[in-house]
Amino acid sequence: MIWAKEETLPRDEIEAIQLRKLGETVRYIYGRVKPYRDKMDAAGVKPEDIHTLDDLKKLPFTYKADFKDHYPDGLFAVDKKEIVRYHASSGTTGKPTVVGYTRNDLDMWLNNVARLACMGGATADDVAQISFGYGTFTGALGLHGGLEKIGASVIPMSSGNTNKQIMFLQDMEVTLLVATPSYALHLGEEIRRRGIDPSKDLKLHIGLFGGEGMTEPMRDEMHKVWGDQFVCTQNYGMSELCGPGVAGECTELCGMHVNEDWFIPEIIDPKTEEVLPPGERGELVVTCLGKEALPLVRYRTGDMTRLMYEPCKCGRTTCRMENISGRADDMLVIRGVNVFPTQIEEVLLKIDEIGPHYEILVERKNRLDVMTITVELIDDRLLDSYAQLGKLEERIKTALKSQLGLATQLRLVAPNSLQRFEGKAKRVTDLRKDGL
Amino acid sequence: MIRQISVFVENQPGSMMRVTSVLTEAHVNIRAISTFDTPEFGIMRLVVDDPVQAKSSLTEKGFVTRVSTVIGAELKDEKGNLNQMLTLLADGQINVNYIYSFVIREGKAPVMVFSTDDYENAEKVLRDADVRLVEEDEL
Repeated sequence: MIWAKEETLPRDEIEAIQLRKLGETVRYIYGRVKPYRDKMDAAGVKPEDIHTLDDLKKLPFTYKADFKDHYPDGLFAVDKKEIVRYHASSGTTGKPTVVGYTRNDLDMWLNNVARLACMGGATADDVAQISFGYGTFTGALGLHGGLEKIGASVIPMSSGNTNKQIMFLQDMEVTLLVATPSYALHLGEEIRRRGIDPSKDLKLHIGLFGGEGMTEPMRDEMHKVWGDQFVCTQNYGMSELCGPGVAGECTELCGMHVNEDWFIPEIIDPKTEEVLPPGERGELVVTCLGKEALPLVRYRTGDMTRLMYEPCKCGRTTCRMENISGRADDMLVIRGVNVFPTQIEEVLLKIDEIGPHYEILVERKNRLDVMTITVELIDDRLLDSYAQLGKLEERIKTALKSQLGLATQLRLVAPNSLQRFEGKAKRVTDLRKDGL
Repeated sequence: MIRQISVFVENQPGSMMRVTSVLTEAHVNIRAISTFDTPEFGIMRLVVDDPVQAKSSLTEKGFVTRVSTVIGAELKDEKGNLNQMLTLLADGQINVNYIYSFVIREGKAPVMVFSTDDYENAEKVLRDADVRLVEEDEL
């Protein structure tokens, strides 16, 4: 099923919608959001300079740092009382990136999520278990609302508690699972370990995955674990843009369809910032169209991908983006949570008993991401007892947990054991291959 | 009372040797050594003849090193003497954090080295019972 007629329009009609909404959006932000107006003035561009879609490139970029500089709501275009929902995601430092929605924004968002749920094969007959963590993360409530819109029955399970997850999958005859792909693999293996064969004993046949990328080797594993009947697709979004709902794979599995009547994607060279021709790989830049609370123009997502404009066999004419193949910055995705090394550094530098050098190791154990942070002990006062060293370890772990929203492993080592760098430090080692 | 040095070491091959080789180069004599079975890192505790030299050499080589006070009690090499010393401490409600032992010189009795948070009382209880306490110049 195709949820909206806008997904199948001829290209010239899609572009006509984009141009009309772009003009409105640019006038809207110039009139309402001071940081945008200042940037546009500095770049010497006015709303009336936008005549064609190509004029988009005249507009300045928006960066994640803009959210930090105008924390918490300096980029918002409406009064607080018009906001009906806030969400938040990781910032590059201690403060999160806060996003807000008006009633119209929520409706637009959840309709876009409904589109990608349909792309992945969901219908009103499905029983959907949401195994994303709830809270301020947009993933859980986004898929929750989108699946309700199409009439599916939604179980807001949240993450963790594998026993309960399995009980609901069985007893409620769940047909659709929403999770990170790595958690879905972990859960599937747990189920098999208990002697349950998902392809015979469960009704589950659809997986809608997000929060982290799903590689083709992961999809192959998914079929081994859950059975060949399992149709698994992934979708793309980020809280700044709205959350999930920006793009999603259809069951043809040839890229994620971008909801182009609401988002204009561009691909740029992250170094030269030049816009690249269609089909070339680079950093994805997204302009949101028609958002009221938090309009966003030329947002640097940091995600590396390419766009394909050929129509798809599924009937949709919207362009497709390839699976994300890396980052233009050093952001890590750990168990679906975005982590910036700067966040970790900020925590560590406040702890006097350890030195300023650190290393981050990311591995996948038992299908789940494990992040180990190694720091150098420098304070000899802690050597009077093991209990004091243990307390230091606990204190660092607790501070990291509260900053990142994620449990980490910690290793204390002797001073000067970590490698020193003269130029740019290489502190992160990611041993995950193809997401496995 | 005597001074002990504590060194932070990682649990991997060669880590204790790196400490002893620094002390050897610095001509420091090791009288006693103790470590515990721990998963990732350990505290290596040593009694040496020159704790000041040991601390400065190890610190210079980048080791996290601490000098702290412990009590050394010389016991007669007879059955029941350790039990007697521990009974004295127990009766005095003195908690022992950890304990290890060494022999000063050939022909001499064993020395028990222990750490406590209550040095004054520990010393008093032992002296009152005529237990001989070892001082640094004897090391």
